[in-house]
Amino acid sequence: MAGKVLTITSGKGGVGKSTSSANISLGLALRGKKVVTIDLDIGLRNLDMILGLENRIVYDVVNIVEKVCKLNQAMIKDKRTDNLYLIAAAQTRDKSAVTAEQIVELTEELKKDFDYIILDSPAGIEGGFKNAMMPADEVIIITTPEISAVRDADRVIGILESNNKTEMSLIINRINPELVKKGDMMSKDDVLQVLNIPLIGVVPEDKNIVSYTNTGEPSILHSQSESGLAYKNIIQRIMGENVPFMEINEKKTGILTSIINFFKE
Amino acid sequence: MEKVLIKGKNFLGFEIDINENDIKSITKELQIVLASSSHLIKNTIVTLKLNSKNQLFAKDIINFLKERGISINAVVINDKNSINQEDIPPVIELKNTHTVTSKEEHTATYKGNLRNGQSVKANGDLVIVGNVNSNSYIYATGNIFVLGDLYGIPHAGYGGDEHSVVFAFSLHSPQIRIGDFITRSPEEEANTSVKNSKMNEPEVAYIDNNNIVINSYREWIKLKE
Repeated sequence: MAGKVLTITSGKGGVGKSTSSANISLGLALRGKKVVTIDLDIGLRNLDMILGLENRIVYDVVNIVEKVCKLNQAMIKDKRTDNLYLIAAAQTRDKSAVTAEQIVELTEELKKDFDYIILDSPAGIEGGFKNAMMPADEVIIITTPEISAVRDADRVIGILESNNKTEMSLIINRINPELVKKGDMMSKDDVLQVLNIPLIGVVPEDKNIVSYTNTGEPSILHSQSESGLAYKNIIQRIMGENVPFMEINEKKTGILTSIINFFKE
Repeated sequence: MEKVLIKGKNFLGFEIDINENDIKSITKELQIVLASSSHLIKNTIVTLKLNSKNQLFAKDIINFLKERGISINAVVINDKNSINQEDIPPVIELKNTHTVTSKEEHTATYKGNLRNGQSVKANGDLVIVGNVNSNSYIYATGNIFVLGDLYGIPHAGYGGDEHSVVFAFSLHSPQIRIGDFITRSPEEEANTSVKNSKMNEPEVAYIDNNNIVINSYREWIKLKE
C-alpha cells in the first residue's frame, strides 16, 4: 500500500485545524480508507479529545520516536471504526522533542499500512509546523474569512511554495452567510482572490461545533448538521470525486415559522 | 557590429540590417550573407533596415536583392524625407520612435503572487505579473509596475530616485515609499478591503512637490502630456 501524507495547517491558531483533522480522518475512515492521524501539536494536544479517545492514551508520538514503545502500541484504535488510528501528542514535552526527519521516517513506515496519514499541524510557522510540513504529500490549508487568518494562511502558502510543496488545497471554515451579505465578512471569492489556490471545501459556521468537540463526537457523525455535510463533501473531493459546492445561504424562514416566532416574542 | 545582418523577427519574417555606408562593400557583404541564407528568406516577409547615411542607396540595395529573388516588403529608415520615394516599398519611419536607453533596458519581471513575508528586489524597473499580498515587500531602484492587486509595501526609486513611480491595477498598500519619501494610507481607509475592494481603477503613486501623491492612472497620464 502506498499511503499519502495529508498535512492540515493554517498558520493562525483557532481556525479549526484540529476540528477539521478529526472530521477528515473520521470521514475517510468511515468511507473505508485505512487512516492514521498524528497529532503534532506536542504540548497542547487536543485531537484525542475531539475524537473522544482521551482516556485511551498510553503511549504517544514522542515515545515512538524515542523508541520507548513499538509503533503499534502507540496507535489508538478509534471506538467507532476499525479503520482509524490515532497517534496522540505528548503533553509533557514540547515541539523540540521530535525532529522533522523523525516524523518523515515515521510516516514512511506508516505509508506501508495506511491509505492516508493525516498530520495535525500546530499553529505558527516554527519547528512544530516544519515537522508537519516536511513529510507532506499534500497540504490542506484551513482559514476563516477574517483578514488576520487569511494573511497567516498566505504566509504559510509562501513557505510551502518555497519548500516545493505545491499540492495545496484550501478549506474556508466558519463562513457566515448573513455577515457576508452585509459586507462585514470576506466572501469565499474574496478569500480565493488573495490566496489563489484550489478550494476543496467551504464549511459554514455551526454553533453546535462546540458541543460536538466537547463530547468527542465530530460533526461528520451528525448527518443533520451543515458542517458535517460540508465535511462529507470535502472527504469526497479528497477521494477524487467531483462534488458541486453547496450553496451556503441564510436560513430561510417560512411564513408559518415567522408567525410562530412573532407570537413567541 | 556586423556590417550586414539578417535577423529573424518571429511572425514578422526577417529583417536585413545594414550598417555599412559604402555601396560596394554593402553588395559584397550582402553576397556573402545571402550565399548561406537566401533560400531561407525567399518567399517570406523581409524588411530592410537602413541608417541615415546608407539610406541614399535604398533603391540600389532593393534592386540588388530583387535580382537575387528577394523582394523587400518594407524599408525601415530614420527620416522619410531624405529618400527618393519612387519605386520603393512602403517606408517605416523611425524618426519619432523612442529607442530604449541603457537605463530602461534593466527591467526585471516577476510572475506569480507575492505572499505574506516574501520580498523581491530589483535593479532597475520591476514588473510584477500577479498579486502582491499584505506584508510582502518589493524594492526597485527604478519604477514598480504591479499588474495585479498591490497590498504589500512597494519601495520604488530605492536608493533615492525621486522620479520613479509605483503603478498598480489596484493600489491598497498601507505604506508607499518612493526614493527617500514615505507615506502611509489615511487611517479611515485602513482595513476597508473587505467592504469596497471592487470599485478600483489603476492608480499611480509619484512624487510631486516633495510629497507622494496617488492619482488614478488616467489623471496621471494626462499630467505627463
